[in-house]
Amino acid sequence: MTESVLSARNLCKRYGVHVAVDDLSFEVGQGEVFGLLGPNGAGKTSTIRILMDIFKADSGEVELLGGRPGESRERVGYLPEERGLYRDQRVLEVLVYLGRLKGVDGATARDRALALLERVELEEWSGKRVKELSRGMQQKVQFIACLIHDPELLILDEPFQGLDPVNVEMIKSLMRSLVSEGKTIVLSAHQMNLVEELCDRILLIDEGRALLYGSLKEIKRDFAPNSVRVRAAEMPSALPGVVGSERQGEVTLFTLDGIGAQEFLAALVERNVEIESFERATVPLNDIFVAMVQGNAQPGR
Amino acid sequence: MTKVFTIALHEYWINVRRPDFIIFTSLVPLLGIVALIVSLFFGRQAGGAIVRMFDSGLDVTAVVDRSGEFTPILPRFEEEYVHYGDEAEARTALESGELQRVVVVPDTYRQEGEVTVVTEGSRFSGSGTSGLRAFFTAHLVEEIGDETLQARLIDPYDAQVEYIGEQAQASGGVAGEILSFIVPFLFGILLAVTIFVSSGYLVRSVAEEKSSRVIEIVLSSVTPQQLLAGKVIGLGALGLTQILVWIASAAGLSGGLVVLAGIMLPLLMRVEVFGLALVFYILGFGVYAVLIAAIGTLGSSFQESQQITGIFIFIAAIPMMLTGVIMTNPDAMVVRVLSWFPLTAPTTMMLRLPLADVPWFDVAGSIILLLVTIPVVVWLGAKVFRLGMLMYGKRPGVLEIVRLLKHA
Repeated sequence: MTESVLSARNLCKRYGVHVAVDDLSFEVGQGEVFGLLGPNGAGKTSTIRILMDIFKADSGEVELLGGRPGESRERVGYLPEERGLYRDQRVLEVLVYLGRLKGVDGATARDRALALLERVELEEWSGKRVKELSRGMQQKVQFIACLIHDPELLILDEPFQGLDPVNVEMIKSLMRSLVSEGKTIVLSAHQMNLVEELCDRILLIDEGRALLYGSLKEIKRDFAPNSVRVRAAEMPSALPGVVGSERQGEVTLFTLDGIGAQEFLAALVERNVEIESFERATVPLNDIFVAMVQGNAQPGR
Repeated sequence: MTKVFTIALHEYWINVRRPDFIIFTSLVPLLGIVALIVSLFFGRQAGGAIVRMFDSGLDVTAVVDRSGEFTPILPRFEEEYVHYGDEAEARTALESGELQRVVVVPDTYRQEGEVTVVTEGSRFSGSGTSGLRAFFTAHLVEEIGDETLQARLIDPYDAQVEYIGEQAQASGGVAGEILSFIVPFLFGILLAVTIFVSSGYLVRSVAEEKSSRVIEIVLSSVTPQQLLAGKVIGLGALGLTQILVWIASAAGLSGGLVVLAGIMLPLLMRVEVFGLALVFYILGFGVYAVLIAAIGTLGSSFQESQQITGIFIFIAAIPMMLTGVIMTNPDAMVVRVLSWFPLTAPTTMMLRLPLADVPWFDVAGSIILLLVTIPVVVWLGAKVFRLGMLMYGKRPGVLEIVRLLKHA
């Protein structure tokens, strides 16, 4: 991981007897997309609100862009889960106001708002009242509202909620271009396929506690079953270490035991099997998520 | 500070353009104009009655004197009182509009005191007999030769009341005394009205930000304290704008000068009272606006929030209800307590200042207490605000609020 822009140590937050965040520690590196995952009520939003200085933690420390939370509001863009806009005001007016609250001067905020509106194909709507926009359009305006001050760090809580596939693609590409500019993104989302596509590292929490934390690749490897997927026209029947096989057309899924994928590949080559493709089988993040939260899985099978 | 100003400006500018604000603000001048037009075109008769009520110059009374007490009419009454020998003739003159009333004095007047008054007025508009007293008295005392005694009988005393333990004296005579009381009293009413009007805008503003869920986006850019302060300043200015438009239009319609003179005269006489009233006005508004904005966040809807904040408007009005006590005894213990308690201090002091030389100890004390209260209220208000703004659904009970405040 590169230099850390955000680090939380031993965060705790209670509401009466309910523990929302329980001894949570994590770091987010410069330029990465960090996934903050968890089921509903896991403590994601509470954690994010602590990072944003909207709530105070009962204990623990947060360092955000080299300072305490709240010290660098101007450098952080935040898209909350509970979000909305001033419905009776005009789109551009709202964006400029929100930009000015982030310390951007009026003219700059206006220029940036217009550029961003164009980026999300809403330039023609800048003079309309927010309530005249469709839900999806409002979502996009909310998204660009948190970019108006060109923040270094973005905290996005469910940014894809309520968007159609076309708009999801648009926001995704916007996020990618932000990352290529060197921005850091903390992403909380329920769409595991999108998290898999976008995130470098993740933190999975449930009941306020960390269940999984680290590089997404490593986590997926840890969870991968010892099985491979081979595409070949013909397949010999006797192969070493195979405890189960399942043929789906030309692709065969082999479950292995006592033999690694590398060794198994060597064995196939040795037997002159004409391999068209060979890959380790992986578990979708979705399955890992469900399994971890239900408490019936251990890494490495 | 820049952010507070940005918020204040935004709140003011957004709301001042709202159609309902414009309509509500122009309602008072419009009603005034409508009333003027109505009275001009349709109210000649009613208008005439009103004019006579205020303008005694047009008032002529016929005196049919059968007792001889009022003949001849004293020179200083000759313009308004005319002798008629015959009652029927007087009645004809009354019907033709030459007179406003006929007074028939029978020959038994000195023994029985009974007179008959015939007037065109209705029972509703009154008979206009109050002016007769001076006429009767003046003629009756005329028999006494001593002019000084006459004067005393007509106007028996001019009381110069002196209260023990008090040196307060409004300079400028009776008119000055009345005016220097009325102006701060109007300030008190103005404060209550501003609080009432602005609190409506404040409650609506926070309720809207809460229900549209824009609040969390805003709170990621500014602190609750900044948001609270910005709203109070912006919407306070909005409320003041509305009231100034109302006052200006009222002044314009009623001839401007009278109102202006009413404000300026006591100003020239007791500048310090006016100045202090202004200080109390600003401080009082600050305390109330912050409280109302913060408490307003706790409701789950505009209506509910308005109900909760209604109690504060009531507290602000308490001293107005005790005007009687404050007027008769401006230094009573209850008045002193009210002038120290920050929530009642502004209105109480506005009523009390012009009536007595309030001990500097009380003035300084209540100003200091208000000054200390404001940051406390902002701090506590920001906590409630932070809590209330992000709490959706059910309105919390008092105990729950106290418990949650510890965690906010």
